[in-house]
Amino acid sequence: MKLTKRDFIMGLLIILSGCLLYFFTTKDAFLYKQPILRITHVKNGETKGTVDEFKNHDQQTNQIITGKILNGKNKDKSFKVRNTYTLSKGMDQKFYVGQQVFVNVYQKEGKKTISISHYKRDTYLLMLCWLILMLLFIVMRSNGLRSIVSVILNFILFLIVVQLDVMWNITSFFWIYAISAIIFTALTLILVIGWNKQCLVTFAAIFFGTTTALLITVTAMWLTKDKGMHYEALDFATQAPKQLFLSASVIGLLGTVMDAATDIVSTLFELKRSQPKIHFKQLFNSGRQVGKKIMGPLINVLLLIFFAETFTLAVLYFRTGNSFGYTFEWTMSLGMVQAIISGIGITLVIPSASLLAAAALGGRDR
Amino acid sequence: MTTMTSLTLILALLMFATSGRNGVYSFISLVINFSLLFITVVLIAGGVPAIGVSFFSGICILAITIYMGNSGESETDIAFLATILVMIVMLLLIVPIEHAAQIQGFSNEDSEEIEAFNLAVGVNFEAIMISATVLSTLGAIAEAAIAVSSGLQEIIEQKPEIELSDLRKSGRNIGQQIMGMTFNTLFFGMFGGNLALFILLYKLQASFGYYLNSKIFVGETMLVLYASIAVIMIIWVTSELMVHKLARQRKKNK
Repeated sequence: MKLTKRDFIMGLLIILSGCLLYFFTTKDAFLYKQPILRITHVKNGETKGTVDEFKNHDQQTNQIITGKILNGKNKDKSFKVRNTYTLSKGMDQKFYVGQQVFVNVYQKEGKKTISISHYKRDTYLLMLCWLILMLLFIVMRSNGLRSIVSVILNFILFLIVVQLDVMWNITSFFWIYAISAIIFTALTLILVIGWNKQCLVTFAAIFFGTTTALLITVTAMWLTKDKGMHYEALDFATQAPKQLFLSASVIGLLGTVMDAATDIVSTLFELKRSQPKIHFKQLFNSGRQVGKKIMGPLINVLLLIFFAETFTLAVLYFRTGNSFGYTFEWTMSLGMVQAIISGIGITLVIPSASLLAAAALGGRDR
Repeated sequence: MTTMTSLTLILALLMFATSGRNGVYSFISLVINFSLLFITVVLIAGGVPAIGVSFFSGICILAITIYMGNSGESETDIAFLATILVMIVMLLLIVPIEHAAQIQGFSNEDSEEIEAFNLAVGVNFEAIMISATVLSTLGAIAEAAIAVSSGLQEIIEQKPEIELSDLRKSGRNIGQQIMGMTFNTLFFGMFGGNLALFILLYKLQASFGYYLNSKIFVGETMLVLYASIAVIMIIWVTSELMVHKLARQRKKNK
């Protein structure tokens, strides 16, 4: 690969845009309604050792933070506030000079005091988004940016669906998510594949795989009477937990099933294009071959994602004297079941996608 | 029998029924990976440095995912090498950002779940978060690495005289297809995993600014963003390594 003058200018532009974004996000306090404090001085107090009932040793430190408000009514006013952090930093953090934090301002007996609300993180989130866009552009050129469009569209749709769920507030809200899952699928497939026969075949396969996997799951739950399923352990649940769990499973399931189905169907369509005389049986077998190869790694993707989310909580459970079994049941089992349901969906979509694609392509030549 | 056992049995049966011996291998690799992850958590809770343990178990997980079910041919080796390279790069990227963004441990929204606990338990929650983040990207990069390397190998076999620049282009094409779908898997996985959180945040009428800054939302989003970055990198690294391999082979044959 030779570096041309154009590449050089491109590189310069990319770096420049990154610097600009960084500079902007560190100075964007005027966009927020909530007051932001910029830390100008930190005085660390004495460090105290702590021991809890499980003999876990930790340390606790007080800091006195001085800073200036950057926006709003109290702009440029100086405030002092106390912060306590532990060595493990489970729910607190150590502050340094130069950091920005969101604060709440209180009026108390004619004097204004503040409390720390949360840390300002938008710089890091947006820089990471910038990094993805730039990497996509460098590795894939403009095609790469297109593949992110469907993700963004799905995200917007997803937020709308959540909004509908909260607004309507119906008892069987599972159906809202089930129907929106169908819309997600159709939208993504049309964007990625285009409106044609291949898209229809893929859609049919995904629909079959997802519905059957869900039916199997619900039947298994009914037969085993939900034994060992602690739906109440679901984080942040504000609605009927079992339905919430099933809705979440459908959405998670959809992504992987879609992945597997598109892989298989597009390979078979490609095969038919390069070898027009290929038979139904050969097509079906090739589809299953592809499926065999991707099944294991795909189920692994979800296993790792779901498991990683439980790391922090599981460590906390173990450190506070809970047994392996209890910790597993209360922190990991729901995520595991979600991964298993997706696995069932993947195994079901392999034969159904192979069969449907083979029938659509090879049926006539038999 | 618990619901989970019955579902696991169904999964094992279906894997065997649809893919025969391969299915059994895949199931065993899932069980091994699960055990490795569980042991990792236990060791971290026992006080072993989190990032070190995760690095080693990460390499084991990659080896198991890539080599089990795939015969040990040269393109499999390349996939493995590429995933390890990307894992190291990801570690170098994640450590400073995670330290700056401070998304470790628990957030205010978690408080109901953890109010019974004293959080000063003497572990490094930041290192735990970093380990969890690195491990969560491994599944996606292993999948993409296998797909790119075997796809390119197929092309090399069908057309042994292919130009290096054409091969690079094919790598980009294959990569793009994989990427679009992997992004969907990752994002749907995140929507699914965090559905309850999204509903809660909506009910709390969180402002846009809160989404951009809150620990829980930034943390969950970053998890998916890291995985996406890792997938883009693995596509590039794998196809470059395949091109490099072909170029070296040709030089040898001349």
